[in-house]
Parts: sequence; structure tokens; C-alpha cells
Amino acid sequence: MNALIEASGIVKRFDCHTALDGVDLTIPEGTIYGLLGPNGAGKTTLIRIINQITNPDEGTVLLNGKPLHPSDVMRVGYLPEERGLYKKMKVIDHIVYLGRLKGMTARDARAEGEKWLRRMHLEEWATKKIEALSKGMAQKVQFIGTVVHHPSLMIFDEPFSGFDPVNAEQLKQEILALNREGATILFSTHNMSSVEEVCNEISLINHSKVVLQGNVAEVRQRFKKNVFKVRVAEPVVAPSPELFDIVGIEPDVMGGSQVMVRLVPGVAMREVIEFLNPRYNILGFEELFPTMNEIFIETVTGKN
Amino acid sequence: MNKTRLWLVLRREYLSIVAKKSFIVTTILVPFLIVSLGFAMGLMMVLNEAEGDRVAVIDQSGRYASALENTSEYVFESPADYTVANMRDKFESQEDDDEEGNAPYYAIVVIPASVDSILQVSVYSSSPTRSSLREEVESQLSKAITDARVASYGIPELDRIIKESQAEVVVRTNTWNADGETSVTSDDLMSVIGMALAFLTYMFVLTYGAMIMSSVVEDKVNRIVEVIVSSCKPIELMLGKIMGVALVGLTQVAIWAVLLGVGLLILSGIGVAGAVAAGSGAALDAASMGPDAAAVITADGEFGEMIQAILGVNWLLLLGMFIVYFIGGYLLYASLFAAFGSAVDQQSDANQFMTPLMMIIVFSLFIGQSCMQNPDGTLGVVCSIIPFTSPIVMMVRLPYEVPVWEMLTSVAILYGTAAFFTWLSARIYRRGILMYGHKSTFADLWRWVK
Repeated sequence: MNALIEASGIVKRFDCHTALDGVDLTIPEGTIYGLLGPNGAGKTTLIRIINQITNPDEGTVLLNGKPLHPSDVMRVGYLPEERGLYKKMKVIDHIVYLGRLKGMTARDARAEGEKWLRRMHLEEWATKKIEALSKGMAQKVQFIGTVVHHPSLMIFDEPFSGFDPVNAEQLKQEILALNREGATILFSTHNMSSVEEVCNEISLINHSKVVLQGNVAEVRQRFKKNVFKVRVAEPVVAPSPELFDIVGIEPDVMGGSQVMVRLVPGVAMREVIEFLNPRYNILGFEELFPTMNEIFIETVTGKN
Repeated sequence: MNKTRLWLVLRREYLSIVAKKSFIVTTILVPFLIVSLGFAMGLMMVLNEAEGDRVAVIDQSGRYASALENTSEYVFESPADYTVANMRDKFESQEDDDEEGNAPYYAIVVIPASVDSILQVSVYSSSPTRSSLREEVESQLSKAITDARVASYGIPELDRIIKESQAEVVVRTNTWNADGETSVTSDDLMSVIGMALAFLTYMFVLTYGAMIMSSVVEDKVNRIVEVIVSSCKPIELMLGKIMGVALVGLTQVAIWAVLLGVGLLILSGIGVAGAVAAGSGAALDAASMGPDAAAVITADGEFGEMIQAILGVNWLLLLGMFIVYFIGGYLLYASLFAAFGSAVDQQSDANQFMTPLMMIIVFSLFIGQSCMQNPDGTLGVVCSIIPFTSPIVMMVRLPYEVPVWEMLTSVAILYGTAAFFTWLSARIYRRGILMYGHKSTFADLWRWVK
């Protein structure tokens, strides 16, 4: 898979702090890429650099292998965290304005805008002013304004903040659909559950540096703790120090109990099963992977 | 710089302001207000005339009370019951309105018995009187006393001799132009034109500068600005705004000019109709033949001289330079207003940046005013070189034919500075628009520039 964005050695300093300190990041074409990190980690600064809103002090950003060119803004769609619309403009005029700023003709922008308004069930609002819309509708118009010019890279900074669950789900489905149609998506968020659901790749930024990077499945694999969940018919399981210790027991809703066991290093899963099988009625056995949320918290707090 | 995007921003800015109700209302209301203000002032003058203040005159000489003639402001009366001894009590015990419905006396004028030698008249009142009363009494009485004295010499025809010996000098200023022609110029007209142009620049820069600032702040408040700068460069957004607002201003001025033209047409229509009704064919001819013909007909009159003076002004140069200075001055101030607007989160925080800028603009107008007396003085020359004051000060000096080298230097400096400040402002703007929740100071702005 080709890299759409290749950022290397990005450094950005502000008056009293360094926002980005040697960040490398590669976004493969066609992926949904998660840019994670606590508030103030430098996510927005990195996004602004990719958007050419600010320039890095050091480092380069390549788009399809070539250094960013001012005309590349047309290939990028950006939904910032701080977002708004001109309240006095009509919905369709606003979409056309944003599309034309990205280089579309007025006719194309209008046709695309109307198509999207239908898709979002907002066609009756096309000639209404933005101020007449509800917050959720305005957010959808904002989304349309971001994608109306068919960007090959779409950047969403905290896209779900301010959305109610129904609209958030619709937005998520639209983003996934755009990805299926070939767009590369860059997500910036600290909402971890959304990351697990949609992202293929992630970078975790903390204190201006990338602290974790890679494929979501790989990362979770990397962070697994050798903990298994065993469901047995009996209420308790006795520990066996040479094989495993017990990190938690919960009663199972279906009867019996769920026992979290951590294997002693070097012990294979098979040995544990062989040990348990004659003694208990095993109903289930699965390996526990850490959630992105746990990995996030562990990485961010553990390294401080 | 991308011209298409600049144009898009400019167009949106222009349309968004022009479509505002406040714009439509002001554009229509301002001329209406001016006309009704004129009406109100005229009405007030008429009302003033009807209600002249009553002034009691106690004439101990017995000769001069009749010399005081009523004016629109004052009605002079000689109440028989007023004497120097009782006047204070009488004056202070006045009722609001007496039996005949007369208002109380405003003041008392006492003419002493020996006014011919002492030449001193006193005015009494319970509160300080207007200076116009003093001036009126002084001028009327001195004329009466002078006449009385002239008569007292008993020389026949002395008053005619004196009248003949008095000379009145009328100064008519002429200016030679390069073609060797002589044209009549008018100092008064020059200063009026100069001040009018200066005031126009002043109003325009202040009004539309503030408009740019609020537009910039609005973008930040709406949180639209980051969306926009991901598509276009901050400088395109800034210049688009500045140019869009300039177009708004020109539109407004054009609408007013049309309204003024229509108003004048209606007025002259009424005037012509009035002339016809009065059966005055000459006036009709003069009016229908236009100003040139009118000037010929009444060439010796004051009106003709005024027309000649108006024609004597080098309008092409004057208006040409006005536009040059106007654009330069607008660009200089507009970019600063935009930069300052970008540094604040809300309109109310903008004052700390607005105030110094406004002070400079107001100061320029003051300098301009003082230049009316002495257009070629050091203050005027220096301030028409300094770019922050030159657009306004130069307007006052321009009708008096400023040396070419001075003009060129001043224009070059103005445009150089405007370009420099646009660049500077763009740097501030670029940083400022993305800055939230931070109360910026001049020191911050300086850091952003670096």
C-alpha cells in the first residue's frame, strides 16, 4: 500500500513550548488513521501542518511522495475541532462557497452540495439560513462542506464531539462509506471507543512526541498481558502458582463464574487447559486483549 | 496568492454586508437624517426668530433707547416702572408670565445719562448673558452715538463726506497656471474643499476600518476561520475582507451620490417652477443654460465669481490625488484594523487596540484643521509626509498646490508604509485568527510578527 502522507522529523516550536518534537507519521492510502493523544499533546498542530495552515520549523511532509504544494489543499478536506459556519448564509450557498474555495466550479459545487443534502435528508433546508438550523443539522452541513470537493484525504478533528448518538452514528457510517469509496481518513480524537471501531492504524502522541504507532490489531497484540478469561461452572477456581495466578473472579450471568487468569511467563495456554480440565467444567476460554482505552491510559500515564 | 479565492472571499464579504439590514437602513437613513436635520435647524431658526428674548432698557440719557432696534434674538423695551434703584427687585420678582402673557425680561440694559463722554453701558441679569446681546448693544449704540456726534459738529453734508471717504477693499485672488491663463481662486472655497475631502477620508477610514475589525472578530467568534484557512491563505482572507469592505464603502458613497443628485434635481425643479410662477424669464434662462451660461450672465456678481472660482480649481489633479491618498490611507489603516481584530476573541476586547489607532486618525483631522490657516507651515509639511497623517492632512493642503516633489515623496512613503503594514498585519493575522482564550497584548503581536 502506498503512503499518502509521509511526515518525518516534524518539529514545531511556539513561544514557550514545543508542540511537536520530531514526529514521524506515515498514513497509508485508503486507511482510516487514528491520531490519538490527550488534550494539548500536539494533535491539532500536526493536523494544521498537514493542512498547510502552519509550517513546521523542521521536517518534511510528503503527499504521494512529493513535498506539499499550496495547490494540495484542494485534495484535503478538513473538519476542525473548532468549527462554525457563517450564520447569515444560506445552506446551499455556504456549501458552494466552501467547495469553490477548494477549486470547484460553481455548477459542480452546487450539484454535489445538493446531492449531499439529499443524502443527509437536509434538502428542504437548502435555501434556509444557517442560523435557522438545529445544532445537529449545522454539524451535518459542516460535514458536507468538508467532503463536497471529493478530497482524497479527509481530516476530522474530534468529529463526534457535539453530536448526539444518532447523528454520530450516521456520521460514522458516512465516513466509513467515504473510506470504502477510496478516501483516506485521518481521525484525531481522544474518544477511544470510536478508534477501535473504525481505525486501522493509529499514532498516539503525548507531550509532543509519538509514543505508540502501528496497526490497531498489532498494537493490541503487543499490549496483551497474557490474561485469559475462563468460564467455569464452579463458583471459584483455586490458583496454581507454577502455572497461573488469578487476577479476578466474577459470577457469570449464565451461572458459574468468569475467572481472569494471568499465565506465568513460559507457560503455554495448552498446559493451563490440561490443568483445569480434570478439575473444573470449562465452559469457555478466551484470551483478553487490552482495549485501546487501556493502552492509551497505560501509555500516557505509565511513561510519566 | 490565488486570484479566484481572493475574489470569492471578497464577493462573500461584500454580499454579506450589503445584504445586512443595518447596511440598508443606514444607507437610506443617513441622507434622510441629514435632510431632516437641516429641516430641524431651519425650523429652530424660525422658532428662534418668533421668540426673541425681552430686554428691558433703562435710558438715563433719554436719547438712545429708541436707537436700539429689535432683532430676531432680542426685543428691546423701555418699561416705565423700571429705574436703576428698583431694577434688581423688579427683575428678581418677575413672574413666569405676566398678565399680558409676556415672558420675563432676559436682561436689563442701563444707558447712563452721560453716555456721550463715558461710553459705558451696563447689562444686568441674574445669569451670564449671551455674548450676542453685548455685541448687539455695542454695535447699535456706537452707530447711534457716532451719528449723533457727526450731527453735533454742524458741518453740512459731513455724513456724506464721511461715507465717501470710507473705502472697502475686496481681495480677489488669481492663480497663474502653466498655460499662462489666469484663473480666479477663492481661499474660502479652497479650505472648504480641502476640509471636505479630509473629512471624507477620516469618516471612511474610521467607519470601514471598524467594519473590517468586526468582520474579522466575527469570523473568530463563529469559529469559521479555521475551516476557511484550510482552503485559502490567511492573507487572501484578509485582503479579500479589506477589499470587500472597501467596495461596500464605495457602494454606499455611490448610493448617496445618486440620492444627492436626485435631491438636487428635485430642488432645482422646484426652483425653476418657482421662477416660472414668478414670471421671471431671466432666471429661467440662466437656470436652463447651466452654470457656464449663468456665470457669463452674472459674471460681475458674487455668484459668478464663485462659479469662476469653482471652475478655477484643478479638479482633475485634486480628485486624482484624493483617490490616490484615499486608497493608500485606507489600505494602511484597514490592514491594522484587521490585524488587531485577529488578536481578540470578542468585540469588546478590541478597544485596547482600537483606541491608539482612533487617536491617530482623530489627531490627523486636528492637524488638518490647523493647516487650513497655514497650509505650507512646518507642521503641515511634516504631517503630510508622515504616512499615518498624510492621507488626511494632504487633503487640506492639496487645493493650495503642493510642490510636486513633496507630493511624490509623500505618496511613495504612504504606499511603501501601507505595503509594509499589510505584510506586517498579515503576519499578525495569520497567528491571531487561530488563537483562542488568550488575551493578547501589543507584546504578543510583536512576537507574532517576528
